[in-house]
Amino acid sequence: MSKREFRLENEYRYNRSGALRWIIAHLVRYPLFPLVTLAAFVVSSYLRSYIQMYIGQAFDLITTPGWAASALLALALSVLGASLGGGLAGLLGDYANEFLAQRMERDGRDELYASLLGKSQTFHGRQRIGDIMARATNDVRMLNAMVSPGLRMIMDSGLSLVMPVLLISRLDVRLLLVPGIFIVLLVITVYQHTRRLQPVSIAMREAFGVMNAGLAEAITGVEVVKGNAQEASEGAKFARNAGLFRDHFVKQGAIQARYWPMLVYTVCRAAGFLHALLLWRAGELTLGQVVAFVGLMGALQFPTAMSVFTFNLVSLGVASAGRILALINTETELDENPRGVTQPIRGEVRFEHVSFGYDGQPVLKDISFVAQPGETIAIVGQTGSGKTTLTRLINRIFDASSGRVLVDGVDVREWSMESLRSQVSFIEQDVFLFSRTLRENIAFGVAEATQEQIKRAAEEAQAAEFIASFPQGYDTVVGERGVTLSGGQRQRIAIARAFLTDPRILVLDDSTSAIDSATEDQIQRAMRRISRERTTFIITHRLSQIRWADRILVLKRGELVDQGTHEELLARCEDYQRVFARYD
Amino acid sequence: MGWIMGGLETEAYDRSYSDKELVRRIAHYFRPYARQMALVALTLTLNSAAGTGGPILISRGIDMVSERPTVEAMLLLAAGVLLLGIASWVFNYIRQWFGAKVVGNVVLDLRKDVFDATIRHDLSFYDEHPSGKIVSRVTSDTQDFAQVVTLVMSLFSEVLLVVILTVWLLTVNPWLTFLVICMTPLAAGIALAFRRIARRVALLARQVTAKINAQIQESISGIVVAKSFRQERAIYDTFAANNQQSYRVGLRRGMTLISIFPIMGTASGLGMALLVYAGGLAARDGGMSPGNWYLFMQAVGYYWWPMMSIASFWSQFQDGLSAAERAFALIDAEPKVAQTGSEPVGRLQGGISFRDLAFSYTGAEMVLDGFSLEIKPKETLALVGHTGAGKSSIARLVTRFYEFQRGELLVDGRDIRSLDLGQYRRQIGLVPQEPFLFSGTVRDNIRYGHPEATDAETLQAATQISHGDWLGDLPKGLDTDVGERGANLSMGQRQLVALARVLLKDPSIFVLDEATASVDPFTEMQIQEGLETVMSDRTAIIIAHRLSTVKNADRIVVIDHGRIIEEGTHLGLLAAGGHYAELYNTYFRHQSLEYVERFAEEQA
Repeated sequence: MSKREFRLENEYRYNRSGALRWIIAHLVRYPLFPLVTLAAFVVSSYLRSYIQMYIGQAFDLITTPGWAASALLALALSVLGASLGGGLAGLLGDYANEFLAQRMERDGRDELYASLLGKSQTFHGRQRIGDIMARATNDVRMLNAMVSPGLRMIMDSGLSLVMPVLLISRLDVRLLLVPGIFIVLLVITVYQHTRRLQPVSIAMREAFGVMNAGLAEAITGVEVVKGNAQEASEGAKFARNAGLFRDHFVKQGAIQARYWPMLVYTVCRAAGFLHALLLWRAGELTLGQVVAFVGLMGALQFPTAMSVFTFNLVSLGVASAGRILALINTETELDENPRGVTQPIRGEVRFEHVSFGYDGQPVLKDISFVAQPGETIAIVGQTGSGKTTLTRLINRIFDASSGRVLVDGVDVREWSMESLRSQVSFIEQDVFLFSRTLRENIAFGVAEATQEQIKRAAEEAQAAEFIASFPQGYDTVVGERGVTLSGGQRQRIAIARAFLTDPRILVLDDSTSAIDSATEDQIQRAMRRISRERTTFIITHRLSQIRWADRILVLKRGELVDQGTHEELLARCEDYQRVFARYD
Repeated sequence: MGWIMGGLETEAYDRSYSDKELVRRIAHYFRPYARQMALVALTLTLNSAAGTGGPILISRGIDMVSERPTVEAMLLLAAGVLLLGIASWVFNYIRQWFGAKVVGNVVLDLRKDVFDATIRHDLSFYDEHPSGKIVSRVTSDTQDFAQVVTLVMSLFSEVLLVVILTVWLLTVNPWLTFLVICMTPLAAGIALAFRRIARRVALLARQVTAKINAQIQESISGIVVAKSFRQERAIYDTFAANNQQSYRVGLRRGMTLISIFPIMGTASGLGMALLVYAGGLAARDGGMSPGNWYLFMQAVGYYWWPMMSIASFWSQFQDGLSAAERAFALIDAEPKVAQTGSEPVGRLQGGISFRDLAFSYTGAEMVLDGFSLEIKPKETLALVGHTGAGKSSIARLVTRFYEFQRGELLVDGRDIRSLDLGQYRRQIGLVPQEPFLFSGTVRDNIRYGHPEATDAETLQAATQISHGDWLGDLPKGLDTDVGERGANLSMGQRQLVALARVLLKDPSIFVLDEATASVDPFTEMQIQEGLETVMSDRTAIIIAHRLSTVKNADRIVVIDHGRIIEEGTHLGLLAAGGHYAELYNTYFRHQSLEYVERFAEEQA
């Protein structure tokens, strides 16, 4: 999958048809709610519009000589009844719609989350957490907002246009002339307004982003700004960005101010008024009906003013749905191969002319080596030379583009992924711990582990000592609401975890640095213990580990430039010599 | 305006402004645009007047044509309604357009002022305030303020319309007008009660949302672990429970917030029904014309909607005002570093003397007290000691990032306070513990301290660091895009860029806070070579974490609790077996070759 799908900035580019279908599918999952909403809004809108008819009737009543107060009271009570009924129906519709909106959010989030859990590690390895989070938080919320207030307002303002016009036709069909023209013009002008406004709004949002990012950079790097006496140039840069934002802001303001639909409405109201008066003069209408007509025309003002806002919400919602969908739809390229080889691993790893790259960039070129069962192999090289990628070919986080990776003489693609991965463990560069107790973190995945086993694993991993130093010991909660562990401590927890799961092949991606020698001693000991009796790959910055490895692979820009023991490399590898030469 | 701040997070520099002061400060920003504001005010008034004119004209017109139903009268009436409508639209157009101009400019001015005030502050300010919050003060707070100004203008227009209408209605029928006005408190009461409830449910919803988002974040971050231990189901169950809770709270929030519109609509219907009847009686017994009766019907709507706007925008209004208050508080906070003079600074020799100096970050706890230290020109000085001993403080005083309280700090025998700060800092080359890169290319970053440098000079500086080996590891050499904050480069590469930056700037004094993060041995070697180049021929003050640095330093100064407890060379101090030897055992021993070899032997 290309990275294109995961760009966040392009909020307005989405697959509309797919997203729409997805949204509709969500809406019809609970058919009762949309139906109740629509029905309730029809009733509510009808009743509220009907108030204008009563006012027209009341007008006719009070202009009839000798009218009775009781008749007027009846009309006043009708107004009250209509508005109460309209309010209640509206409330019912709003509630039903709210149910729909909240379910949309809940179900959308659930669907996304479940699909994320089902994705392969290839997907998660490549995906930025920030992107996923943006979809899981903002976009899921937008789904909610699209229904409430979005859908609600569309229904509400749509019906607020339809119902008055419907009632106007009951006054006199000829009166439909002006409102009919109005609705056509309204659709055209709203469409044009949206088209004019959208690029400016996007540009404004982008300008805000640029201003914000530039500012955040200057503030975060303030030590460097001041240290280099660049305050003035940073100030000028900020003023330039803020000025650009101002320009877009004013432009947007000018477009919003020139809201043609409102002018169209104004003209139509006057024309309709004249039309009604002329019909009255011809004796076709009562003056009260003219009044009712004016009132109904007045009711069209609100939907006219709100229409742009409404469409905006819905199109944002569709865009969000598109993004969520893109994530859900991302395919996994790797095959689980459930019927593949399933057997205990001895621990031989063989690379045969392995090359690998992604997005057209070669990462590894023609790598060949063999690791015997139980050997400890150190992989050294600069950051970005392909060390981590190389180890990830072993448990099929990636598949080689050419060449073969063999475990116990069997191509990894022939192995059952389940069997392979359960016997190959990774201790990542940045060890992740869940916000749970240390006990649960160590026993993660080994639910049946006893307290005794957990303790022994912690001791083997040199973690028992610092765990004991916490008041709650193994029940200490780590993470945001608990204690913060240093990199070295987290690493030893992960090593303890590996002692419990006892993999046959272990990959230790180690770039933690110990600030003091005592901690360094403990990390060293833990690593040596865990690497015994299993094939271990260590990606490391530590000279001591490189020094005691059985064999060392030297990587440079994706190529294996040399391999051998410390003494061999010291004798012949120039890059290797340069590193150790500094220690004499 | 202190009452507004209730419940909001406050910062140490926040202060409460009196209403008068706040208005004065805000007015100050509008003054340059007084003429445009006058136009806005004028069109706003005219817009409201024209808006009121519409319903009045219609009701008068209905009375008029019912007496004299001529086509001319009707045409005239319709033309009047049309003209008023168009006028209202035009006035509104001008008001919004010029309003946007004024607001845009005011916000720009405010932003510039806040930025200038921010960047003027010394580092003690940045220590106390997280950068995210400062950024949001400069951009988001000013934006909120702009929204409030726009909002106030709209509200003002609506309220003005009500006022004009009320005056007119009073001349028509005082008693009915009184009845209409009586409804206003009802609307306000409903709105206020609603606001209080809404706030509570919204707060609860925010908390629940934060909880579920945190859970998603955690499980996605740890997905590799979860998957390799096959714990998806357990994680999903936790999620589903949280999601259901979020749904319930969200539903409650949504239903509460949504209720206001039907309730207000129904209440306004009640008012309307009352007026239908009372107005009818007034027409019969008081001789009010049917047209005027209709005017009162229309008026109800005009009274309710501004109240609803005020109710729904009230919290936004409050937030905007406190946003302005926060922006002003930032502008008014005083920087602590104060220069007494601005003497020109040429090329420095690089001699530095601390004389009986006292320094504290907070004013409570002294970091340095009676501290004296002489650093000779071109000397390489390594500072060692436990965390919190005061090493960084010494370096940061030399870079003049902080103000000291007592004693003297002399550079080439001159008081550091008397120097032109900009020129002085051009003589300082600083590499912080985590080198900071700005988005742009490697070249841009090397040139950051010396923007006038040519491409050739830049390349030369880069090549001097570790023979330029490191440039070959960058995909596009000097033109490599470093990404946001240097994310495209490894930590080691960022340090190399920072060293080249210093080399190009060619300062007299080099200040380095050595990184503690580990770097691969190949890059580490390049950094060491680069350091040697940068340190030669200038004064160097280094907060040392690396064994090679202390070994090569001309002098090691051991700091403890803000005092010098030992000084000398690596071998001399090690032989003495004092504090330094102890520090060596704690922090440097594992970096030595003996250590590396010892472990290899144990393994064998």
